[in-house]
Amino acid sequence: MMQRGRWKRWLVALAILHGIIGCAGFFAPYDPAEQDRERPYLPPMKIHIVDTTGHFHFRPFFYAVHLRDGSFDQFEESTDQVLPLHFLVSGARYRFLGLVPSRMHFFGASASRIYLLGSDAYGRDQLSRILNGGQISLLAGLLGAGLTLFFGVLIGATAGFYGGWRDGLLMRVAELFMALPWLYMLLALRAFLPLTVSPPWAFFLIIAVIGTVGWARPARLVRGVVLSAKERDYVRAARGFGAKDDYLLRRHVLPETSSVILTQAAILVPQFVLAEMTLSFLGLGVPEPVPTWGSLLASLQQYSVLVSYWWMYLPALAIVPFFLGYLGLASALQQDAGTEKIEKATSGVR
Amino acid sequence: MSYFLRRLMHGTFLLIGVSILTFLFTTLAPGNYFDEMRLNPQISPETVAALRAQYQLDRPLPMRYGRWVKALLHGDMGFSFAYNSPVAPLLWVRARNTLLLTVMATLMAWGLALPLGIWSATTLGRLPDRAISGATAALLVIPDLVLAIAMLILAVRSGWFPTGGMASAAVEGLSPVQKLRDLAWHMELPVLAVVLSALPTLVRHVRAAVAEVLDAPFLRAAASHGIPRRTLLYRYALRAAANPLISLFGFSVGTLLSGSLLVEVVMSWPGLGPLLLEAILARDLFVVIGGVLCSTVFLVTGNFFADVLIYWADPRIRSQADA
Amino acid sequence: MDRLLIVEKLAKRYERAGVLGAKKEVMALQDVSFSIGRASTLALVGESGSGKSTLALCIACLERPTSGRVVFDGKEIATLDEKQLRAVRPKIQLVFQDPARSLNPRFSAIELVSEPLIVQGRLNKQEREDRARDLLVQVGIPQVKASQKADEFSGGQRQRLAIARALSLEPKLLILDEALSALDCSVQAQISNLLLELQASLGLTYLFITHDLGMAAHLADEIAVMEQGRVVELGAAEKLLRAPGQEVTRRLIAATPRLGAAGNLPQVV
Repeated sequence: MMQRGRWKRWLVALAILHGIIGCAGFFAPYDPAEQDRERPYLPPMKIHIVDTTGHFHFRPFFYAVHLRDGSFDQFEESTDQVLPLHFLVSGARYRFLGLVPSRMHFFGASASRIYLLGSDAYGRDQLSRILNGGQISLLAGLLGAGLTLFFGVLIGATAGFYGGWRDGLLMRVAELFMALPWLYMLLALRAFLPLTVSPPWAFFLIIAVIGTVGWARPARLVRGVVLSAKERDYVRAARGFGAKDDYLLRRHVLPETSSVILTQAAILVPQFVLAEMTLSFLGLGVPEPVPTWGSLLASLQQYSVLVSYWWMYLPALAIVPFFLGYLGLASALQQDAGTEKIEKATSGVR
Repeated sequence: MSYFLRRLMHGTFLLIGVSILTFLFTTLAPGNYFDEMRLNPQISPETVAALRAQYQLDRPLPMRYGRWVKALLHGDMGFSFAYNSPVAPLLWVRARNTLLLTVMATLMAWGLALPLGIWSATTLGRLPDRAISGATAALLVIPDLVLAIAMLILAVRSGWFPTGGMASAAVEGLSPVQKLRDLAWHMELPVLAVVLSALPTLVRHVRAAVAEVLDAPFLRAAASHGIPRRTLLYRYALRAAANPLISLFGFSVGTLLSGSLLVEVVMSWPGLGPLLLEAILARDLFVVIGGVLCSTVFLVTGNFFADVLIYWADPRIRSQADA
Repeated sequence: MDRLLIVEKLAKRYERAGVLGAKKEVMALQDVSFSIGRASTLALVGESGSGKSTLALCIACLERPTSGRVVFDGKEIATLDEKQLRAVRPKIQLVFQDPARSLNPRFSAIELVSEPLIVQGRLNKQEREDRARDLLVQVGIPQVKASQKADEFSGGQRQRLAIARALSLEPKLLILDEALSALDCSVQAQISNLLLELQASLGLTYLFITHDLGMAAHLADEIAVMEQGRVVELGAAEKLLRAPGQEVTRRLIAATPRLGAAGNLPQVV
């Protein structure tokens, strides 16, 4: 039941998921900003292998789509136009991992655009938008968590190691930050910063805001670990051979915090991705035309979209596998930490 | 008695601290509120100038804070530019609605989490526990934003629930009982959404707390004395688990408040959430501060309530406090 | 100067917060005076709370005495500041009671033993490693285990590591604070023999703190008995054990089974 290293499997799964999003340009068939005004709110296209004449095709295909007569938003398939699915096609330009220019896409069709997950109001491919949007959301979550943990460790270690007035002051401030419900604090922080900023600035702003909100709880946890670590006999022994504070922190105290930091990271990253999604959903995040998972959901605030175009909800599901992965990772890490405690306790009995 | 006084003072200090923090944000943040307001065509430059003078932006910080607190104590929470009315009455209505939603959600969430968590802890590893743990894991994986929107879509497509708001259009002509039923009908979905998003964490923590107590030596000693299981559970185990559970309750208040905010916005429940959002988008300074402070008041009150519960439930705290 | 360490009228007072906020004074040490000859062993014996550990910390300069003198190798050290102490510290080293706690479990044997050298900034990397390996040999730790983490060693081996670590700075005085008390009986015998060997080959001086008179008898040339912060009896080991002067000493002798029964010094295998 207690397997050390189970967390590694979750980490691998997460790495794969992140990798897919990281290579969004490759996996997405189209440029997320490319519009097609003739096909707004297109439902997801169906894949076929047997055509209307009963023929079996080895290569899966789609039917091109046209507006039904007399309707302005109902589409139907043109059974005369077959769009075969090809893999590794050449398409729109993008930069692989943001660096290497490329035109290679994982799949596509030649004659007309295929919409696996439908299109939005401007005819932009939802699948491409979801994949590319994930880059922003995930990056914001990762960087935000990194910032929070940085502050948390800095403040928690200072409070725990030096104690005294520093500890008192820092912990009071931490209490203040925990006295506000996090979403209210997030919104308040966002409120007091300029509303309309360009996308890159907005991105950094969001990260700063998200990172500032959550440091209090990790700081407390780190402080607890540091407090107990600095009282250990081996720290006193090291002082006995003349070790200075920064040596003690670096070699003996901070390494003890690594498991807490890792577990906190696994818990915080998904929360912060969600925070970015929430901000963008509410219109306070990264503005158009940059897609993020949150802003992709913003159109659902219109009643008409909510009622008629169900595929616009799909971006919400994109985060679920990531939540699952991080949850599993955090669980496995916590179990390992728990096992470690038990092992330590039973070995000290000798 | 001194215990309550101390906790009350602690809460007050927190409120003061948060108010200072919020006040500082408005003044230290880049992108001056009033500068942006000048860009807003709906507000004339004279109004902006008058407001600047009124709020004495040229005076030193502590003075401005002092004036603001004085006004606050008189019930004056500033003026809303977007609604063209004083902030306080605006907030009061919305705060009441948020309170309604959050309190109902808290009651229901804990009303479900306690029995489920206890049941899980008493049947550790067996079918009920595994089923409950599986369900909570499944819920945990769905973030609250995703859940709220999904439920809204459910409401819209099935027609079983109203798709927003707190009351039907024809509510005025109904009898009090009918009004209550209408309110309840409108509350179902929002409350359910908040409960479902908070429930999995609560159940897990209750389960962990109770399981830890059930494992304690003193309980095994009691069992070996032949005390029946039911008594063991209710009289001994739950009493011992009360302390961590009540602390958990204190923590959960903040999460539930944040959850309510989101649900209010998604499902158009007229609470603090949508108000705060509108105010942010309209750069309505005082409404934002008011809304944030309101939420802090709720949180601090919730925690104070938890302190009261702990005093009542834990004899150690009682003896320490009364000493 | 044949007395390496001279302690004169050492006193240590602690303030503890009393019940009603009044500060209570606790005299952990009062009027403590003794000396230790070079390359000899003084055992400091007493029950729990008699002030032994406080005395050890004061001599090792990890605590400051309230009054009195500590003269080490002819120099007064109790009143030195941290900077001046840095030169003295390497010469007085401590070995603690519980090696599971005094050694960082994540460190390997080599890292543990060379830590004092790293902290003091002595020698280069290779020289440090060589010296560490030499020390491991001296205390009887096989070379194959040199890179293993501390938590993979047994209690007795860990205490050997602690001793090796203490020796890395070439100290003159080794304070062993209940260093054998946490070990199994047979292991105690091995380690105490190791200590005797090291003393013979390196000319070390030991201050051996213990509550076990049997151990003291085996290792010490002189014994000092402590009770409630004072030294109540002091003298050569054999004489003291055969003819104890104080009540507390008699109690301690009676509590040690072998001594009490035979009245002779025990034979250790």
